[in-house]
Amino acid sequence: MATDTMIQIEDLKKIFYTDEIETHALSGVHLNINRGEYVAMSGPSGCGKSTLLSIIGLLDTPTGGSYTLNGKAVANLNFADRSRIRNQEIGFIFQSFNLIGDLTVAENVELPLTYRAGMPATERKKRVQESLERVNMAHRMRHYPAQLSGGQQQRVAVARALAGSPSILLADEPTGNLDSKNGEAVMKLLQELHAEGATICMVTHDPRFAAHAERQVHLFDGKVVAEGELNRLLAEVEG
Amino acid sequence: MNGLMQDVTYALRQLRKAPGFTLTAVLTLALGIGANAAIFTLVHAVLLQNLPVSDPKSLVRLGDKDDCCVMGGRPENEGYSLFAYDLYKHLRDSAPEFEQLAAMQAGVSQGALTARRGASNSLSKASSGEFVSGNYFQTFGLQSYAGRLLLPSDDVAGAPMAAVLSYRAWQRDYAMDPSVVGSIFELNTHPVTVVGITPPSFYGDRMTDTPPDFYLPVTMEPILDPGALLKRPEASWLYVLGRVKPGTQIGPLQEKMSGLLRDWLIPQKVYQNADGKKALPKSHIVLTPGGVGIANMQAEYRSGLELLMGISGLVLLIACANIANLVLVRGMARRAETSIRMALGAARKRIIRQMLTESLVLACLGGVAGLAVSYAGTRMLLALAFPDSPGLPIHASPSLPMLGFAFGLSLLTGLIFGIAPAWITSHSEPAESLRGANRSTRDSASLLQRSLVVTQAALSLVLLVGAGLLTRSLNKLEHQNFGLQTENRVVIHISPDNAGYKPDQLQALYGEIEDRFRALPGVEGVGLSLYTPLEGDNWGEGVTIQGRPEPGQNDHVGASWDRVTPDFFQVIGQRILRGRGITDQDTGTSPIVAVVNETFVKKFFPNGEDPIGAHFGLDGVKSAGEIEIVGVVSDVKYVNPREAVQAMYFRPFLQHAPLSDNADVRSLFAGAIMLQMRGPSEGLEAQVRRTLANINPNLTVVNFNTFGGQIEGQFTQEKLIARLTLMFGMLALVLASVGLYGVTAYTVARRTPEIGIRMALGAGRGNVVSMVLREAMLQAGVGLAIGLPVALLCVRFLKTQLYGTGGQDPVVFAGAIVVLVVSACVAGLIPARRAASTDPVKALRTE
Repeated sequence: MATDTMIQIEDLKKIFYTDEIETHALSGVHLNINRGEYVAMSGPSGCGKSTLLSIIGLLDTPTGGSYTLNGKAVANLNFADRSRIRNQEIGFIFQSFNLIGDLTVAENVELPLTYRAGMPATERKKRVQESLERVNMAHRMRHYPAQLSGGQQQRVAVARALAGSPSILLADEPTGNLDSKNGEAVMKLLQELHAEGATICMVTHDPRFAAHAERQVHLFDGKVVAEGELNRLLAEVEG
Repeated sequence: MNGLMQDVTYALRQLRKAPGFTLTAVLTLALGIGANAAIFTLVHAVLLQNLPVSDPKSLVRLGDKDDCCVMGGRPENEGYSLFAYDLYKHLRDSAPEFEQLAAMQAGVSQGALTARRGASNSLSKASSGEFVSGNYFQTFGLQSYAGRLLLPSDDVAGAPMAAVLSYRAWQRDYAMDPSVVGSIFELNTHPVTVVGITPPSFYGDRMTDTPPDFYLPVTMEPILDPGALLKRPEASWLYVLGRVKPGTQIGPLQEKMSGLLRDWLIPQKVYQNADGKKALPKSHIVLTPGGVGIANMQAEYRSGLELLMGISGLVLLIACANIANLVLVRGMARRAETSIRMALGAARKRIIRQMLTESLVLACLGGVAGLAVSYAGTRMLLALAFPDSPGLPIHASPSLPMLGFAFGLSLLTGLIFGIAPAWITSHSEPAESLRGANRSTRDSASLLQRSLVVTQAALSLVLLVGAGLLTRSLNKLEHQNFGLQTENRVVIHISPDNAGYKPDQLQALYGEIEDRFRALPGVEGVGLSLYTPLEGDNWGEGVTIQGRPEPGQNDHVGASWDRVTPDFFQVIGQRILRGRGITDQDTGTSPIVAVVNETFVKKFFPNGEDPIGAHFGLDGVKSAGEIEIVGVVSDVKYVNPREAVQAMYFRPFLQHAPLSDNADVRSLFAGAIMLQMRGPSEGLEAQVRRTLANINPNLTVVNFNTFGGQIEGQFTQEKLIARLTLMFGMLALVLASVGLYGVTAYTVARRTPEIGIRMALGAGRGNVVSMVLREAMLQAGVGLAIGLPVALLCVRFLKTQLYGTGGQDPVVFAGAIVVLVVSACVAGLIPARRAASTDPVKALRTE
């Protein structure tokens, strides 16, 4: 295994069972993501990209295949270990921001840090401050999510993902709920983070935003059908 | 009207669509409303219900206290509620403001009369009779069911002896035989003609579990009772109740009656000394409304019933909070529907009306179900409050006032639990609800829900503390050291005076009773007494120790006393500590002696003087040498189990002190036989009845009980209150726990996406469980913080009901807190564990 490979996925399968119907969401996915890489995953609705992202983010477990994160097989870890790795290695950015309405901006950002045993409060506050400053939201730290615009909420969500200094940022349609201006701003932020060395894996159906990534992966019917620059991929598929 | 019908129809349809919610709400309401209606049935019957007589509002009672049954001196605070017969006549003849002024015997008890229908061969039976003035039934404006009622002409010395039989006794004992009217009965061995039957609804002049079987003219009292009170002006033994003429002012009449009282008291013996002269101007009569009759039971049960009413009200409040939560959750779930209605132009008022209608319909359904709970509850209450009292005129079946109360309570309940959810639901922003749940917003309903849970927890703590204190108090009361032995002891109440015995026949009778009972198999000891410990009776006198000055008004010289046979102390387990007990040598002709208890010695010989050989009397200094103290016995709780042992002396039967006893021969008649058995006493009652009947067919068993059972009977009211409070406390706890569970479960469901987010951010199952549990416990904790001072405050109202435990018993408080915390923990843990099993992927998909 190459030392710069952060995520290594081999023949990954995911089958959903509802009553007597089997739905093959992923049918043997092979995918490697290197440290510092910015990968965009795209594909039509129902192609399995969100399922793949859930498995990469250890929110879900595969039915088959292997998944190695930072050199450690993580596909079949128990719930507690998966929670710990999610907390320490992975930062999530969701389409609908998923901020908690009853918590202030600062508390939302601090939230993943509170699940780390032994981290002192001063350290948590310091990281919250840094993360919010990084996304230019430090001046809104005492506000509640409902008092922010969509773009601001997504910036807070990015700050929350960054606060834990994760190995990888997983973004699921991060611009899906934003207007184009705010969408562009969030993309710019991700690019800046990538430029600073962050590993990012983003799911998007919008080619304009996928173009921000240095590498694009296209899924279709639960398989990776092509990798490379998106326009070329589309041309290949259509051709 | 059309709109209302539409709302009701829609409400019924909505409730039908949610059977789980409807069933839960109706059951909760049924318990709350039913419990209140059951208590109200008792409150109405005991405290509020007028006598079933004509125009009860114009009846006025002379006196306001529940004094009973014979008073020999001056009343407490000089307020008269009991009257001598001569005094009654004086008042009646001097107060034309009364259309009628009737007198009635204060002490009516089962067994006071021995009755046998003359024409039949039936055995004599213990009955109850009440001496009343001849105008008694006229005062109440009653008509007989059969025959006629008593008339003033029956209440004249020398008139043919007549009695009126109660409808209940006629039905119960004589199968409604019409020939009873006009027939001769032997009452206390005297022939008396039953002239009529009372109307069916009439149960007497007071609520009691032993209503009289016979109403007898008061002038017959000296014939039927050897210790006649009628001609003793110093004996007050009658209640007086009258009907005032229309337009009579009660204030001036009260003044007049008090003046008449003082006029009559001036020449009385008890007002001849300095203390009496000083007390005379203060002597007075308070006039009270007489519609409820003689309100002794009201006085006895008022505080207990008011307490229970308050407690059941708290339970209903908790139930209301629970339903309000359920309705709120439903309202939130139907927010989209409400939003659509509002988007279509429905005014807030209209939405509130619809939701309130739904709540009121629900409350009415709960009220109807509550009637069934109330019926069962009332039966249980009656069994608990008045065990073995078939004569009590209180019925469990719903009465019109109870139905009205239940309906009114249902409407009130519906408003209480419906109004806040209706307001909150109607104030949701339609645009917000229609938009969906994407944006995180703060929920105003959840604050109300949590407040309701906090209220429930606080009220539950109050009830649990109350239940704990009352249960602990009852436990201490029942298990205190009474100073006597109850195991294998049996008490048989008798009435030799009713059987026609004269004082000079008693020595032989007592000897025969002792011999015959000793001969019964299994009997180890036999003792006779005027009355037995803890049966509710008490004879008291003022004691003057020889060599001491005449006691003053403020000197506490009272002592209780009893007459006993030689073996009585041994039979009840009362130890002789010094000197001797009563012996066979203490006869009617031997020196007059008494045995005193330890408290008597402490009270009258506080400086360590030797009581043995000391003398005392019961009629001041002049009588002080009459009775010699020959022994000291251990203290025994005789009178009131809630109070300290009273100073007490015991005298042999048949010894009469010429100066002290005021010619009162009533005390010579034994009221009870106490048997000490070698083992359990199954089948003994029939043997006892046979044995007594063999001595004299008129010697009936007034009451048969084990000694333990008799003592237990002293705690009926405490048991009722403690058990009901405990039951209500547990019900409140269950309701509060269900409420907490419901709110926590709802919160968990509402927060599923948030929980998903937290899990995505790395929260483990433990984190989620502790988060949910922490919130549930926080609500319980706030409830505790509020409930604790409230409970401390409320305990003040309980203090009069407590025995042997302070209002701030730390064990009870700690216990109540632990129970509440554990319940909250269990109620919170179920949804917490469910939250921990949330699948983050699904949760995020929901979002």
